[in-house]
Amino acid sequence: MNGIHDIGGHHGYGPVIVEANEPNFHEVWEGRMLSMMIGCFAAGVYNVDQFRHPIEKMDPRHYLLSSYYEKWLCTVEQNCIDTGIVTRDEVDARHKQLIEGKVT
Amino acid sequence: MNMLTPALVLTVLGTGDPARVNEPVPAKLHVGDKVKIRNLNPASHNRLPSYIKGKLGTVTFDHGVFVFPDTSAHRNGPKPQHVYTVVFTAAELWGPNGHPSDRIYVDVWDDYVDLAN
Repeated sequence: MNGIHDIGGHHGYGPVIVEANEPNFHEVWEGRMLSMMIGCFAAGVYNVDQFRHPIEKMDPRHYLLSSYYEKWLCTVEQNCIDTGIVTRDEVDARHKQLIEGKVT
Repeated sequence: MNMLTPALVLTVLGTGDPARVNEPVPAKLHVGDKVKIRNLNPASHNRLPSYIKGKLGTVTFDHGVFVFPDTSAHRNGPKPQHVYTVVFTAAELWGPNGHPSDRIYVDVWDDYVDLAN
């Protein structure tokens, strides 16, 4: 699909910012995200192409404003929904709990 | 469902999800061939960047046979095929704004490309 990810050659996005001495993870949750990603991959929830496609289908506004690992969270969630492991309602309910500070 | 055990973690992280396929699929193109990229716009997954669609280039390398993302992403099988590096002039991609000495190399699956007339 020729969605928001397909911006090669487009003007106006600014330079690629290279961080000196970049850590593997900027936040603790990013390490957890890597664990979830490879855990679900090893379990057979997705291959690399099935992993990529839901990222392309993100809302374009969310795609542009979200970080690398946030995009990973979106596609792990969507693939787990697509394969029947969880439902969208269950994911949304968990998001609501987190937003309201009811879980950590 | 398979379980990721601690003993498997380094292997999974080290190998990722290799897409190379060891099958004797014939190559449609060869190094030096002049080619034209197909103008494909499916709403489904592909790895064909818009900026090369319909453009003319030259094959510089044959990487061998790989899983085809367009089918693989939708659980429709691997459809193994060759992946080639194709070189484009900047002028071909960007018109008069392309620098005369710039070249852009893009890897393309067999199903994205035809021999140019």
